[in-house]
Amino acid sequence: MWRRLIGGLAVLALVGAAAYASFYIAPEERTMGLVQRIFYLHAACGLTMFTGFFICFCSNIAYVFWRNPKSDALAVSAAEVGLVFSTVNLVTGPIWAHPAWGIWWTWDARLTSAFVLWLLYIAYLLLRTLVEEPERRALLSALFGIFAFLDVPLVYGSIRWWRTQHPQPVLMGGAGSGLEPTMLKVFFFSILAMHALMVLLLVDRYGLEKMRGEAEIVRRELEAA
Amino acid sequence: MKNLDSLFAAYLIGWGIFFVYYLTVARRTSALKTEIERLKNSQHRSS
Amino acid sequence: MSVLSNTTALLGKELRTEFRSRELLTTTIVFILIVLVLFSFTFDPTAGESRRFGPGLLWLAFLFAASLMLQPCFLRELNNDTLSALRLSVSDPFAIFLAKLTANTIFLLLTELLLLPIFAILYNIPIAAVFGQLVLVFFLGSLGVATAGTALSAISAQARMRELMLPLLLLPLLTPVLVASTEVTIGLLDRQPFVQWKGVGFLAVFDIVFLTALWIFGEYLLEE
Repeated sequence: MWRRLIGGLAVLALVGAAAYASFYIAPEERTMGLVQRIFYLHAACGLTMFTGFFICFCSNIAYVFWRNPKSDALAVSAAEVGLVFSTVNLVTGPIWAHPAWGIWWTWDARLTSAFVLWLLYIAYLLLRTLVEEPERRALLSALFGIFAFLDVPLVYGSIRWWRTQHPQPVLMGGAGSGLEPTMLKVFFFSILAMHALMVLLLVDRYGLEKMRGEAEIVRRELEAA
Repeated sequence: MKNLDSLFAAYLIGWGIFFVYYLTVARRTSALKTEIERLKNSQHRSS
Repeated sequence: MSVLSNTTALLGKELRTEFRSRELLTTTIVFILIVLVLFSFTFDPTAGESRRFGPGLLWLAFLFAASLMLQPCFLRELNNDTLSALRLSVSDPFAIFLAKLTANTIFLLLTELLLLPIFAILYNIPIAAVFGQLVLVFFLGSLGVATAGTALSAISAQARMRELMLPLLLLPLLTPVLVASTEVTIGLLDRQPFVQWKGVGFLAVFDIVFLTALWIFGEYLLEE
């Protein structure tokens, strides 16, 4: 109980510190001004989303080959948490883009791939709600999760090659390319903070999922009696 | 200042989403805890 | 190789079943026709616009049609309880998938090649000069659609709301195929046609990735 509280406070402190750094330590960007600081939240969420989905992918493979219910619990937790970060990424994008470039959305490679990824993992969670039997649900969603993650580089590649030819606002180059050193440090710190937040949410969600398994067992024992 | 509004909005909404998610997980967890208690009680009663 | 002989035998069965009734092919063709007509109402089909938007709409229509056409693939087996018999009849479950995805590729390709001339007429885009290259890109694209679709069809058949589930799972997954195929087709239907080999290669990579994934994980898709 105390561990959880201390962990939660630590994460909160980290996130707060990252926000402070984003507002006060990072230098102001020349062309976009204040609103550019959204980048630290937006891009860090984007990267954390990938970590979450990668954890989901590994858990999916683990489940298919070793059938441990814990892998399934981790997979769905990672997918859900990844989806939360993905949502924040997709929401903060337009809020940044509109004052910066006058448009709400741009179909560039990163944003569009993020959107498709969001749809894929929504489908993953939806699939889980539509399969009743727990082991079948775990297996089918694991297999879809594997296919979905294998698709990710292909989605990104295809959009990068063919859709980024159209006139696009240059979104900070590549993350890290041409970023001033202080900005880079703040950026890495934001990534760290977001990952810490991800771990916190993941642990909570995983606990919930394990509890669900426990409830299922008790329910089955009751029915058998 | 339009830019400050957007900056404020982005961080507020972003953290809001995280907070809402955290709350939903906490709510589901406590609801499940009560459910497990109820199931265990009826299990003890029937045995 | 027994996988090959199993696959050929099963492929024969799939093709025979479909060509006896042809219901899948006819309904798919009519559906795509309807979509093509409806699309024409959404923009002004002048020559320039048709060349730019036509290929994308065509591929979109094919994807929608495929997501509907691929549903009976495993649903039929589940409903008729033939899946276990099918599994017992082969040594390697990959043969089942190979047969089904080959059959689906053939069905998709047939519908596409039938509709291509109609599309060309309706939207005034000449295709005769590049027909061979079009067949190539349609083959590679259809193979990708059929591979992913057959795998996902096995998944969605075991879920509730399966009619809605397959498009939901399949369409986001197929965005790379949509992008690449559209681009290559636009290149081929341009006033000065050219083959975008990058796109062709990309489609081939997509096909290889998902064929390999299906080969590794196929048996788990068919687990009891």
